[in-house]
Amino acid sequence: MSDEKSIIDKLAINQLISDKPKSSTEISRRKFLGKAAAVSTVVASGSVAANNLPPNVPAWQKTLGKPVNSNPYGQPSKYEADVKRLRVPWLTPDSIASISFTPLAEIKGMISPNGLAFERDHGGLPTIDPKQHRLMIHGLVDKPIILTMEDIERFPTVSRIHFIECPANSAMEWKGPQVGRLQFTHGMTNCCEWTGVPLKYILAEVGIKPEGKWLLAEGADSAAMSRSIPMEKALDDTLVVFGQNGEALRPEQGYPLRLLTPGWEGNTSIKWLRRLEVTAEPSYQREETSKYTDLIAPRDESRKDLVGKAYMFSWIMEAKAIITFPCPEKPLKDHGKYVINGLAWTGTGKIKHVDVSLDGGVTWKEAELNGLVLDKCWTRFSLPFEWNGEEILMQSRATGEDGYVQPTIEQLREARGVSSIYHNNSIHTWKVSKKGEVESVQV
Amino acid sequence: MYKYNQMLKLSAAIILTMSLIACSNDSVNTDSKEVKKQTHELTTKKTPTTIENYKNITVAQGEFNLGKIATEEEISGWHIEVSHGHNLPTGSGTAADGEELYDEKCASCHGSFGEGVGRNPVLAGGEGTLEDTLKPERTVGSYWPYASTLIDYTHRAMPFPSAQSLSWDETWSLSAYVLYLNDIIEDEEFVFSAESYHEIKMPNEEGFIFKDKKADTNNTRCMTNCKDPSTITVKTALLGYGSGAEDVVEETAIEKGHEIGQKIYDATCRLCHGNGLAGAPKVDDTLTWEKRLEQGIGKVYKHAIDGFQGQYGVMPPKGGNMELTDEEVNAAVDYMLKDIK
Repeated sequence: MSDEKSIIDKLAINQLISDKPKSSTEISRRKFLGKAAAVSTVVASGSVAANNLPPNVPAWQKTLGKPVNSNPYGQPSKYEADVKRLRVPWLTPDSIASISFTPLAEIKGMISPNGLAFERDHGGLPTIDPKQHRLMIHGLVDKPIILTMEDIERFPTVSRIHFIECPANSAMEWKGPQVGRLQFTHGMTNCCEWTGVPLKYILAEVGIKPEGKWLLAEGADSAAMSRSIPMEKALDDTLVVFGQNGEALRPEQGYPLRLLTPGWEGNTSIKWLRRLEVTAEPSYQREETSKYTDLIAPRDESRKDLVGKAYMFSWIMEAKAIITFPCPEKPLKDHGKYVINGLAWTGTGKIKHVDVSLDGGVTWKEAELNGLVLDKCWTRFSLPFEWNGEEILMQSRATGEDGYVQPTIEQLREARGVSSIYHNNSIHTWKVSKKGEVESVQV
Repeated sequence: MYKYNQMLKLSAAIILTMSLIACSNDSVNTDSKEVKKQTHELTTKKTPTTIENYKNITVAQGEFNLGKIATEEEISGWHIEVSHGHNLPTGSGTAADGEELYDEKCASCHGSFGEGVGRNPVLAGGEGTLEDTLKPERTVGSYWPYASTLIDYTHRAMPFPSAQSLSWDETWSLSAYVLYLNDIIEDEEFVFSAESYHEIKMPNEEGFIFKDKKADTNNTRCMTNCKDPSTITVKTALLGYGSGAEDVVEETAIEKGHEIGQKIYDATCRLCHGNGLAGAPKVDDTLTWEKRLEQGIGKVYKHAIDGFQGQYGVMPPKGGNMELTDEEVNAAVDYMLKDIK
């Protein structure tokens, strides 16, 4: 026993004194083996105790720290090195037109930090010189113009906190549970404070001709990512954004300029925005016909004639709530009191209620909404509970201020079948085992 | 699908509420207490309107006068979209013209018959499968509503490593060939162009429904006795997370040599080195590779890792995939040169 303990101590100490970050290969292997990772964390925290806990004075208190500004652009603690975006390598044919997932289990609050905000790139991540970046606005306008970044920043600006969610979030789960981590089941979302110019000001500048009912928004990436946006949305809350959480947009979010269509399918918020064309009709781009459309197979007899049809322009991201603790990455340990935490959002407005069930949806308790409750924005919720080692089927269910209630996966299948890809906003189930491990399941 | 337009047309005018303070989390200073909500008809140019609450600066609506006028020449270079019946480009091409181009520039990812290589998009087939509730195949032929989207996207974003490199003649030819692979164009000499565009009708043109704002589920906020507990069955992971995970680059060790090299090659290098795009030597171009190896394998590794501007083309660092370690890049090089070294 004592031998075993000293080996564990050595391993843990080695881990702690090693300044060198683990190789990406090593970390990703650990990430995939969720249980193994959880065990090693327990070992590490257990053995740090030896020298740095009371009554001992911690080692870091007995020497001077590093000089101020040793790291001019601040970085997280080295102990947070595992907190990062990850890809699911088999999900996309290559790593260029691909996606990275936000580590939702590690998010502390209602904002996704810039380095952790999920990204979806369709033609890789372009490196754009802002001095050479231009926004062209043309088409059915009185005055086609080209704006520099400096021009854009001279318009009146606003800052708003909104979520972005890829409509493919949870897409892998239509037929059944498949990706056993919160980061992969729900991580195609981020929530940031976005600073930019209401698009309506820029459109007023060019003058929209009466027949101009749509916009084509286009990016400056290799995919020239493009979507048709109806004028109603363009004149409502759409922004042309250059700031993210207090600094310039990150390249992954469209540096130096992106569109932001709050509450709508993530890819309508065109990144690396270079062009807005006012048109009379939608432009039927690839990403609104071939992709980002919803093939449906309703099971309801009265809607059978719709089998094989597809929804087009299903822009709104409907209400969704997800428990971020506990989750597969963050299991329960000892028996006793805990607080269930989670995030909820809806593309239609504010979150009104979040309810939590511990019995697979038989009974529900209303959770408390924590902190700010904003329009089209991640909203935190929590519910205290006591765990005595029983198995739990844990669920969360969001209701929007519009009265819409987040559906079950079976209700979605009734409406759309199992071969849809996008817009899976179903109630998610975590199964907590008697050991406290958390597994992604469906009921 | 035109429902939305009709709705808009019903509106007499687009009324814009210029209310900077209406949004609760705006950061704009609202110095004036007497802010009036301004309404303005956007379609009427130069109606004087003041944005009084913006730092007391009075400006006329639509008269920030920022930026410069876009000239027709400037617009022409960026105005690339091809819409159904609008902005159809000049030029023309036939499926027969497109075949050779397709084999050269497209087949390495999309397959000789549009069947898709690896997880790359399938372009052809799938006819009549959309009603298959378990395995519908969404291809250009079976799913896409308009041929304009194929023309647009081929020019906009293809071939994957060199977007906007195809001429409009090449774009018409390749589009004709993809439609030919789908039996939508039957005569390989059919001249596909703006004049003949409307002769092509895509099989699934009528297959789309405009999804309006109405939700298609209707859950209720039940709080107790919402279902019979005995009916609850727990469905665990379909295939576990592992579904294909063993095959991934990040999971494999370098010691596996060519096996990992091949995976990296397939994911990152094949796009260019498979078909000689962007001046890249093709993987089976023994002569060129032998010449490069004369400089030593170390130099080849170095160029693969750091990138290289050559006489004929550019090698981006790590083939553009900065997630790869140096060892993984070297493994891909070893795999590519396994028959030559």
